[in-house]
Amino acid sequence: MKKIITLFFLLLLTGCQDQVFSKDLFYMNTYINIKIYHHDQELVNKTFSDIEQIYQKYDQLCDRYKKHEYNLYYLNNELEKNQEIEIDKRLYDLLKVSKDYYLKTNKFFSIALGNVTDVWTNNKELPSYEELKASGSTDLDDIMLKENYIFSKNSDVSLDLGGIAKGYVNNIIKEYLHDKGIKKYLITSGTSSILIGEHYQNEKYRVGLINPLESEKIYKVLKLNTNSISTSGTIDNYYEFSGEKYSHIINPFTLYPDNYSLSVTVIAPDPILTEVLSTTLVLLPIEEGKKLAEKYDVEVIWFTKDGIIETEGIKNYE
Amino acid sequence: MNKNDWILIIIIIFISFSLLLFFKLTNQESNQALVYNDNKLILTIDLTKDDKYQVMGLNGEVDIEVKNNQIRVTSETSNYHLCSKQGYISKSWETIVCLPNKIIIRVTSLDQNYDVILR
Repeated sequence: MKKIITLFFLLLLTGCQDQVFSKDLFYMNTYINIKIYHHDQELVNKTFSDIEQIYQKYDQLCDRYKKHEYNLYYLNNELEKNQEIEIDKRLYDLLKVSKDYYLKTNKFFSIALGNVTDVWTNNKELPSYEELKASGSTDLDDIMLKENYIFSKNSDVSLDLGGIAKGYVNNIIKEYLHDKGIKKYLITSGTSSILIGEHYQNEKYRVGLINPLESEKIYKVLKLNTNSISTSGTIDNYYEFSGEKYSHIINPFTLYPDNYSLSVTVIAPDPILTEVLSTTLVLLPIEEGKKLAEKYDVEVIWFTKDGIIETEGIKNYE
Repeated sequence: MNKNDWILIIIIIFISFSLLLFFKLTNQESNQALVYNDNKLILTIDLTKDDKYQVMGLNGEVDIEVKNNQIRVTSETSNYHLCSKQGYISKSWETIVCLPNKIIIRVTSLDQNYDVILR
């Protein structure tokens, strides 16, 4: 009888296993799905609400179109006054990281293209270079950051954090989950970036990459664990003029979507790095891109018109 | 081994199988629906949770309902209301197309060879 009771308790213990909890959010113009595998429902609910607060805060801070306390909209307007501007510390840190990447990518990753993307978004016809050039400054060198203050040498720069905000917030959430000791999770932001924790059954998550030419087909499945993966490309985001599609990734030097790849997928532990580099690599010739990938120790898949090119390490994820 | 040991073994086997059956039956978490707006994936819906959703189509809001692992459109802005008339769908690759709203809802099974997609 004793044995039976012991065994019964053992069986009860196995019932106390991890469960999947899922939450959908909509922030930064993106549907976000968070999955957490854990046995403590209370902890998970608290985590969900904390994560939502993080998204909500950065959604407001990075908003170009609506004013919130010391946010990006406020900053873009204040830049016109040519004086030192104090902004939210969190936005300052995000701008600092953005400018660092601008310098690290030989100025290919720029957050100063707001004026130009506005023309691309609102124009009825294909804009000319002159039109784009006349829309305002796109020079991030004009923006100075010093001790929580921003100063601009040029009053008509318009900052846009669309290319980095998601990755930046994912990094904050990654650190938050780490601090809470939550290891098994999967966070999907839209359809272009995923933050990957440990798998719930000690396996690997299978990430299907969609063919940019045939949006119903998967051209490759990668197996990943505790990593971050981002894709940039033309498939979901483009401008259309007289039936012709133009990528939303603008080359800061030509102001046109001069893209070398249809889509670029980047894998690395750092979600900021994958977000920034996937955008940057679309704008670079493959050989130059390979050097950048090597420098930052990331794995890359380029989907070009002429075929698929991969870095060496991709085969470890197959 | 005496008689009690045999009883114990049988009980354990019985409990194991009933637990296995229980998890197989309750763990139908294999289905989801994908919602596309103008060919862009805008929402992934878990069909195991009864819930209501609203998405913006070209003409206005499209209301979606999930019930008993099935999904349907309850109301939409269009002339003929074809997609709400279609009723529930639940099988893999079944599709509701709201043409005037450019909204497409497709049921997919998660037991494919991937967990999540990237594009």
